[in-house]
Amino acid sequence: MDSVLRAAAIYLVLMVLFKIAGRRSLAELTTFDLVLLMVIGEATQQALLGDDFSLTNALLVIATLITIDIGLSLLKQRSRWFSRVLDGGPTIVVEQGQLLHERLKRARLDEGDILEAARSAQGIVEISQIKFAILERNGKLSVIPYE
Amino acid sequence: MAQSDHSDLHSRHYPVDEDMALQRRVWRFERVGWYTLVLLIGLTLAGLFSRGPLSNAERHSADGQLRVEYQRFMRNGASDALIIHLQGKPGEPIEVAINGQLLQGFNVEMLQPQPLKASTAGEGVRLWLLSDTDGRAALHVTLRSDGVGRFATRVTSASGASVQLSQFIYP
Repeated sequence: MDSVLRAAAIYLVLMVLFKIAGRRSLAELTTFDLVLLMVIGEATQQALLGDDFSLTNALLVIATLITIDIGLSLLKQRSRWFSRVLDGGPTIVVEQGQLLHERLKRARLDEGDILEAARSAQGIVEISQIKFAILERNGKLSVIPYE
Repeated sequence: MAQSDHSDLHSRHYPVDEDMALQRRVWRFERVGWYTLVLLIGLTLAGLFSRGPLSNAERHSADGQLRVEYQRFMRNGASDALIIHLQGKPGEPIEVAINGQLLQGFNVEMLQPQPLKASTAGEGVRLWLLSDTDGRAALHVTLRSDGVGRFATRVTSASGASVQLSQFIYP
């Protein structure tokens, strides 16, 4: 019984924590982010397995995690509202060459982040050349230049 | 909010369909979540989740013959110390009884020093310790938390001095 409860609790806690961290936090994985992820994994492992290192327990925990994941994706498919709440929606942060400052501030982004995405994706070096920049649900920035 | 009518925060429908009302709730959630995390870390440092000023506790019996140091908050699977200080006659064995839920909520991993003898006493245990030349004895008990929830324990010495303590174990 407690394998399922442990896995469900960890799934829920991690989901809430990563929602608080925001979609950008692990979108562009830096070396340090990778290390951070590994450390989080290590810290989670004990709580997931407790003092039961049996094959059965590992199987039950993994099965529970995957079941919850599939269950949530089915729910998202059924309910648009649920999907919006869990995954959010895209947010426009540059419109017709203009930065939308209020949005950037709340999304914890700055001009540098947008220019970085513009350079790497489109070879654009100025905000005025950007028609739209959109912060996607997965935290990546899409840049659409003027034709 | 003063900025609620800022045009930056109105929903756009091209090139993507936005729901800014929801997005602003998401941003508010992130902000509240951040404050909550800071508060959580503050409380952890203060000892709400074991080991800290809020958690370290000490109880005396009315006559001062018995003193117990313990942790108010503990965590399932972690071990911590419980120290029982007793005052008796020099060189004589002192009797102490531990009753209540202690043995249900915890595994006793170690008793130091080893008691002279031990017996069951109702639901608990009764121990005899040899005092030093000043008549003092201290028993260090290492407990590994096994249960979850609140556990009340009573420590009683033969002289009738008694201390009631309550410990909470987090899952």
